[in-house]
This record gives sequence, structure tokens and C-alpha cells, in this order.
Amino acid sequence: MRKNLRALLGGMNAELSRLRRSRLLIALVLVQSVTFLFLVTLFGMTGAYAPTALVNNDNGPLSQVLINSLEKDHHSFNLIFMNNETAARELVAKGDLVAMIVIPQGFSENISEGKTVPITVFIDNINSDLTADIQRAVPSAVMSFGDGLKFEGVNVGVDETDTYAHDTSFINYMIASALVLDALIISGTLSAFSVAEEFESKTAKILAISPVPPLIPLIGRVMATALVSAGALAITVFVALVGYGISPVQPLEMVLTLLFCIAIFSCIGAGLAAVMKKTLPVALFVLGIALPLFLFSGSYEPQRFDGSLIWGAAHFSPEYYAVGLMEHAVFNLKVTPEPVGLLALALVGWGIGALVLAWFFSRRGFL
Amino acid sequence: MSIEITVAESTDNMKERMKDNVIQFQDVDCRISGKDILKGITLNVRRGEIMGLLGKNGAGKTTLLSLISGLRSQTLGEVTVLGERMPAHSTEFRRRMGFVLQENALYEELTVFENLKFSASLYDVQDSRKKILEVLEILGLSDRRDQVVSTLSGGLKRRTAIARALLHDPELFIIDEPTLGVDADTRHALWAYLRLLRSKSKTVIVATNYLDEALALCDRVAVLGEGVMLAIAEPRELVKRTGSCIDIECNEQTAKKIASGVQNLWQVTRADITLSGISLFLAKGANPDEVLREFTKYGSIEGFCFRAPDLSEVFKSLGR
Repeated sequence: MRKNLRALLGGMNAELSRLRRSRLLIALVLVQSVTFLFLVTLFGMTGAYAPTALVNNDNGPLSQVLINSLEKDHHSFNLIFMNNETAARELVAKGDLVAMIVIPQGFSENISEGKTVPITVFIDNINSDLTADIQRAVPSAVMSFGDGLKFEGVNVGVDETDTYAHDTSFINYMIASALVLDALIISGTLSAFSVAEEFESKTAKILAISPVPPLIPLIGRVMATALVSAGALAITVFVALVGYGISPVQPLEMVLTLLFCIAIFSCIGAGLAAVMKKTLPVALFVLGIALPLFLFSGSYEPQRFDGSLIWGAAHFSPEYYAVGLMEHAVFNLKVTPEPVGLLALALVGWGIGALVLAWFFSRRGFL
Repeated sequence: MSIEITVAESTDNMKERMKDNVIQFQDVDCRISGKDILKGITLNVRRGEIMGLLGKNGAGKTTLLSLISGLRSQTLGEVTVLGERMPAHSTEFRRRMGFVLQENALYEELTVFENLKFSASLYDVQDSRKKILEVLEILGLSDRRDQVVSTLSGGLKRRTAIARALLHDPELFIIDEPTLGVDADTRHALWAYLRLLRSKSKTVIVATNYLDEALALCDRVAVLGEGVMLAIAEPRELVKRTGSCIDIECNEQTAKKIASGVQNLWQVTRADITLSGISLFLAKGANPDEVLREFTKYGSIEGFCFRAPDLSEVFKSLGR
């Protein structure tokens, strides 16, 4: 037992020394994980706070009421007030703005007299998603405007009841789940590199003929990569907290979930490396599976891609449970039908399963 | 690298030591991926001797070493190493063996010291720091201890790999191609160190495809060819069996005349025209003086030298 413990610590020390000299690798893995945060943010950026010029040619009070309605419209517009219609149109054409809304001269007066007033909306429809957002948001704001002024003929009101008392920004929602993706990228890549290198440099043979079972020092090495992964992920979490202003509701649950993710993905990386035995293919494989696993693991709940089949298959991925736990820990959201306790149990099960798989494949690799 | 060795041991003592067998192969076959790599190998290695495994690339030397180390299992036959029937995986058995692979198999991003420290943790070497410093001193690596392995020359890497295998003081030391990629000075220093091990009653197995290495180092050599044991003999005996070689320096015209003239001489088994003249391979029992007298008839000779045959001549003499 003492000899095995010494070999385990020896492996851990050796790996830490190796990683200390591989700062570029760690830096690149870290950059990659932060880049993935930005990447998933892009999904949210397209559908929210579209930068829109507002040119108000009216001097009356009602135009300000309409502007208030536009601003209150759910996450739709980031209004930029401009005086010059031509300049605004040029900015839209350049791609600096998505759309331009023009309130015409005499708007308040005409509305007061019960006349119909056309609102000019100029849209850069290069992105149909954004175009559709604006097409939906402008009538909604107009409806709200008419409803507020108790106009005759406006008799539709919305009695909204939300699942949650608070709204969650879509980008922040994505960031919470993207941290699971980052755990996979960082810990999966580092552990895979460490184990695959044993085979590439033939040091696996040295371990195979040593008096201790070769998996003991190997576990030590993977523990070291997991430790470094935890440090690297802490930096990514810092970016999420400070950069995106996320404030987790259950910080301990978040930390435990991420630590479990590191343990699971470190084991998966090690197992894959023991099968592939080459650093480059295994690193590409880890990166290759990261995004699909993320997309199909309920990260976009309640949106489900391609129906329930893939969603059902996602139950076989640890990311599904981890994303569910993260959304609960960070925003107190319940994004899966399974209760939080079951998600935690499933993640623990995955941890044990990943350890067994890594042990099995590594053992086979050494035989 | 400088190693000073004083070995003063009587031949009787050495013979006494070498009585018991450390390794025994009995009709061993090894088949890998449907291909016979070793066929009917029988071999005994005695305690305290340096046994050379001689053979060309692909002869089966590395596979034979893998059977000794337990990295592979034989398909047929019986292998006993250090009194244990193979494949043996006991902790104590592995602790008694040191192995230097053909590839150095070092952690390139670790320093020399860190590589050895990791190995010390695997073999549970007590007072490891002191032991590491001792081994580094012996192998002339003290001033390189904090150097990262990837920055070392081929020779220094080889020495580091040897240092790692010796750290736990094994009684059986196996080294595959000891002087692969090392310079002449390091080569001689490594040979000297292996002889030092023998003087300490350690058994050393050396796989090589250099006959001069086997001649300089080994008590006995086992010659492997295409997975078959061709001969087991003392190196001098093997050379005697093969005959010697004369390299003659002369111009091309004279070399051609000699090549055609020696065809009728029974003493010459082969003549190779070289860039500097001609090489004549003499049959066992041939008198070099007679041969020299004969070829001086064919033209002027600028010089000549006698040398041991190379591996291909050994194989030829063994009917391969």
C-alpha cells in the first residue's frame, strides 16, 4: 500500500513538473476554453438587443410613449437615438446597426386625431433571424403603446405568467452550461495528452515492467492534470463571473458540479488516450466531440434540436446531467424533467463509470 | 565521461559464480500477429556473465528480451528468469531486474534528476536522493542533473536511460542496443561500466548488431537469425570459426586482378572490391601469409590490415 502510494505521488509529481514546463500548452487550452465561452455567447447575441437607430422627427408627447414601449420590449432593441435619417441608413448599410426606426413628423398630432400613421422600419435582413426578431418586436411595441393609451380598437392584452419569478439573460444562461463544455475541453485534453504521451514516448513500457501496477503512477499523472485543470477552469469561471456578471445562486453546488465534471472528463480523456495512443488524434477527438455533446445535452432548453430522439440519447452523456445541475446552481432553473437530486446521482454514477472505463482501457493499453 | 575501474578477480571465482543459470529458455516459440518471431529457442544465461544477443535488425533480439522482461509471453516452451517461470509479474521479481529499452523511453520534458526520481518512486528506492546522485556520478551525469532531457544529446540520453535502470541496483540488467546513437568515447565508457557490473556479480544481457561490441564486451554470444538460434559461443570462438579478413589498399586495376586471381584459392571465401581497394575474407584455418604472398603478384599494394569479420561474415559462416 505504502509503495503504491509512493508510486502514485511520484507520478503526480512528475506530471506537475512536466506541466510546469508546458505552460504554452496550458495557456492554449485555457485560451481555447475562454474562446468557447465567447463562441456560445454568439448564439445568444443574434436574438437579443439588436442595435437599432431611432430617428424621432416628432416633437409631440406621444412619440416618447412609443419610444418607451420599444425600450421595454423584451430584450429586443438596443436603441441608439439619431437625428439624421441618412446617417442612420448608412450605418445600417455598413453593418454597424441592424435596423432603423423612424417616427415621422406630426406623429403625436395624427395619432391624437385617430389617424393611422406609418412607422418606417429599415432592416438589414442579411440575417433572417434578426429580421424576424425585429418584425415581431415592432408590432408588439406598437400594440403595447396603443394599449397603454387606451385606444379604441386595441382590446388585446397579455396576461403573462412565468415559470420563474426572474428572467435569465440568454447569454448568461448559455455561459453557465458552457462551463461544463470548458471542463471537458480543459481536463479531457490535458489528461489525454498525458496518457497518450506515455505510449508515444514508449515510457508505457517502463511502467509496464515496473514493480507497481502501471495504472498507479498513471492515476497519479491524471490526478495532476485534473488539479491543473481545476486551476485553469477557475480562471474561466472568473471570466464568466466578472466578464458576464453571473452570480451563482448556489456557489457550492456549482463548484462541486464542475469538480465532478473535471474528474469525469479527465477519466474519459485518459481512457480515449489509452485506446488511441497518439496525442494529436486524441486531442482533435476531444475537441471534435465537445461541441456536439454540448449542443445535444439540453444546453438550449427548452429548445430541443431534432426532437426527442437526440434529447433521449443525450441522457447517455454526462454533460446532460452536468448542464442541468449548473443551470440549477447558477440560476435556480430546472431545465430537465429529472429532479436535481437525480441529476447529482447520475453525475456521481458517471464519475464511477468513467473511472471504470478509464481503468479498463488503460489496462488494455498496457497489456 | 571518465570511469576508472579496477577489476581484479580470479578466473576460478568467475567460473564459480557463473555456475547457476539466471535465465533459461527451453524450446521457446513466440508468435506475434500470426508471424513466428522466435522458433525453438533454447538458451541458458549464467549468473555474473555478460551475454550478448547478436543478430541483424528483425532477427528477434528485442522480442527475446521482451520475453525475459515479461513484456510479452511465449507461445510455446518454457522461460525461467531469476528462478521464476515466465510470465512472472510479482513485485519482487520486477524489482530484481533493470531494463534499458532500445528507445530510451525517457520523459523528455523532465530533467535528468526528475526522471530518476520518478523511477525511484516506482521501485521504492530508499534514500533515493543520495542513490540518484551516486548513479549520476558514476555515469558522468552529475553536471547534467537539472538539464531537461529533450535538450540532451543522444549519448547523454542513453546514459540517463542506463542510470534509471541501475537506480534500484538490479541483479539482472538487460540492455537493448547499448551504444545506439552514442559517440566513440561514450561507447567505451558504457562498455567499461557494464564490465563493472559483471565484476559485482550482476548478470548483463546485451542485444546488439555490432560484432565488435560483442567481442569487446561479452563472455558469450547467442547469434539469432530470423528468429532461430544459430549459435551460442564465446565471441573469439565465433570469430575463429568465421575466419579473418584482410583489407588491401590498392588501385582499382590491381583490385580487379586480385579478385579474379583469388578465385582459385581455397583460403579466400569472398572478395569485395571497395573504394580503397579490396577486402578478402579468409577461410577458417587459412594462413594469411600465404594469401598475402599470392596477391602481391598482381600489382603494387599501398597497404593492408587484418581485422575481425563483420556480422554478415559471421552469418555466412553459420550458413545464413
